[in-house]
Amino acid sequence: MECSIKPEAGYDLLQLSGEVDMHFSPELRETILERIKAGNPLLIDMGNVSYIDSSGIASLVEGYQTAKTANLAFGLLNISGAAMQVLTLTRLDKIFSLYTSAEQFRQEL
Amino acid sequence: MLKKLENIGTYTLTGLEQTGRTFNLLLLVLWELARPPYRFYTIVRQIYFIGARSLSLIVISGVTIGMVLGLQFYSILERFGSVNLLGAGVALSVIRELGPVMTALMVVGRAGSAITAELGIMRITEQVDALECMAISPNKYLVAPKVIAGLISVPLLTAVFDSVALFGGYFVGVVMFGVAEGSYMNGMIDAVEWEDVRLGLVKSVIFGVLITLICCAKGFYMHLTKAGSQGAEGVSFVTTDAVVLSSIAVLFSDFLIGAIFS
Amino acid sequence: MTEIPAVENAITIRDLVVDYGTRRILDGINLDIPAGQIMVIMGGSGAGKSTLLRCILGLKKPTSGSINILGTEVNGVRARDMHALRKQMGVAFQGGALFSSMSVAENIQLPLREHTRLDETTIEIMTRIKLDMVNMLPHEHLMPAELSGGMTKRTALARAIIMDPKLLFFDEPSSGLDPSTSAELDELIIMLKNSMRMTIIVITHELDSVFKIADHIAVIGEGRILETGTPEQIRASTNLEVQDLLHRKARETVVDADAHLRRLVGEEE
Repeated sequence: MECSIKPEAGYDLLQLSGEVDMHFSPELRETILERIKAGNPLLIDMGNVSYIDSSGIASLVEGYQTAKTANLAFGLLNISGAAMQVLTLTRLDKIFSLYTSAEQFRQEL
Repeated sequence: MLKKLENIGTYTLTGLEQTGRTFNLLLLVLWELARPPYRFYTIVRQIYFIGARSLSLIVISGVTIGMVLGLQFYSILERFGSVNLLGAGVALSVIRELGPVMTALMVVGRAGSAITAELGIMRITEQVDALECMAISPNKYLVAPKVIAGLISVPLLTAVFDSVALFGGYFVGVVMFGVAEGSYMNGMIDAVEWEDVRLGLVKSVIFGVLITLICCAKGFYMHLTKAGSQGAEGVSFVTTDAVVLSSIAVLFSDFLIGAIFS
Repeated sequence: MTEIPAVENAITIRDLVVDYGTRRILDGINLDIPAGQIMVIMGGSGAGKSTLLRCILGLKKPTSGSINILGTEVNGVRARDMHALRKQMGVAFQGGALFSSMSVAENIQLPLREHTRLDETTIEIMTRIKLDMVNMLPHEHLMPAELSGGMTKRTALARAIIMDPKLLFFDEPSSGLDPSTSAELDELIIMLKNSMRMTIIVITHELDSVFKIADHIAVIGEGRILETGTPEQIRASTNLEVQDLLHRKARETVVDADAHLRRLVGEEE
């Protein structure tokens, strides 16, 4: 897994790629929570994620919950097929705000 | 006739096999203990179960045994006019023999039987298999904490037993029969050597490991014996077996240790 | 994590023989279990299904033969490699095998607590996600003794998938359940295959669920593989023993009244 932060106008873009599994989800969790603590809206680009396991999903859920309490926007961008299936299975597709373009997210800010 | 001989052979073989497995389990436990992760919490929980929960039983039986000893020794010693030896008699027999043995037998009855039943049930309901399939070593997770807890609890319980038994003897001798307090106490202090305390300690440590190990092995390896296919009845069978076997092991090793150290 | 080379077969079994005393339980089993699909191993009781499962899980050492799981040869494997392999396997046992001193949630979390260094919050959320999947979320604080048969099986399933294994084994999912509960479990199994890239091996003798969930079926009888194939192929099998198993005949009708009477009163015919 690779994860890098790119500050954009008005929000942070977290680019995620590869496999998010139990080895890497603690890193993902820390990055997400740290960004939210900094008070920035967060958009996570999931376009290049080939696989995400339930620990990764759990980190996203915790991030979303924290962002919501802090009244910050938290979006998932370009979620790919495999990851989408996991979200559907766990009925989380109804919870997360999913976007197909960064523009869409920016407009909603 | 031949049938009987054959039976003796089978019993001997089964006995040897089970003894081998029990000691193999000891080696496995030692090996697992040396490797991380170390599970202090599970050990503490077992100490609570084997040790702390046995405390009231140990106190009651300790006082009773001490009082019985006081009674018997007093009636014997009085005939020879040497009641001043009462303290020494009670203290020596409790510290050298009765303390470790009685404590071990009490722990066998209270905790040992529960250990065997628990492990036996876990074995027949596939819980042990489940642990193995989760890549959690059942030796380390289930057996090792119990053996360590036995090793720690039994000597401590023995110490408690010894002290309350001495009080029981004191109560009968000094309070009931009016033996001089000074002679009871001094007799005790003069007679008991460091050697005696050490013998009691060695015994209780060995008993602690021995009884938990036998009780664990009986339940843990239940599937390898005939009882393994008999469900709940099998569990009750191995539990009885474990209690009988570990009691005998305590008494026999008590003799062996006594013989070696004196 | 580096990408594992795609394997055609998750499990390959060759010439597996298991003797128990003088009795031969498994007699030369050859079986390929394709990755990412549901393989049902079916057969009557005493056919050797559970022995086969125990061999695959490494709980029983076979007399001879080889079992290859995800590229690792299990027979004679080093303890450390088996350990690594087992973390990729989840097993739901027939009776649940839940630890009676732990609540439903604690049972499910055990593998995570033992094998990972995940944050407490992550573990809690993962547990709830899995509990929600198997419809056990409202019951997370119950103890195993308080669960019904169906709940026990669902909890066992949740515990089996908590580590997101590549291989899921399910021993007799429908035993002891009423038809509707067992149908629910069947749907759950199919859902897991579709969305979690899992290879699922189900051991059962329940015909209804076999044809509902299976991508592949292996029929086993008297320690041998009688037939393997897709459900259609199995249905069309010309093997008599397989047909026997599929159309388990209703009890034979009483033709000879005298003979039947003799059987009932226990006289030898």
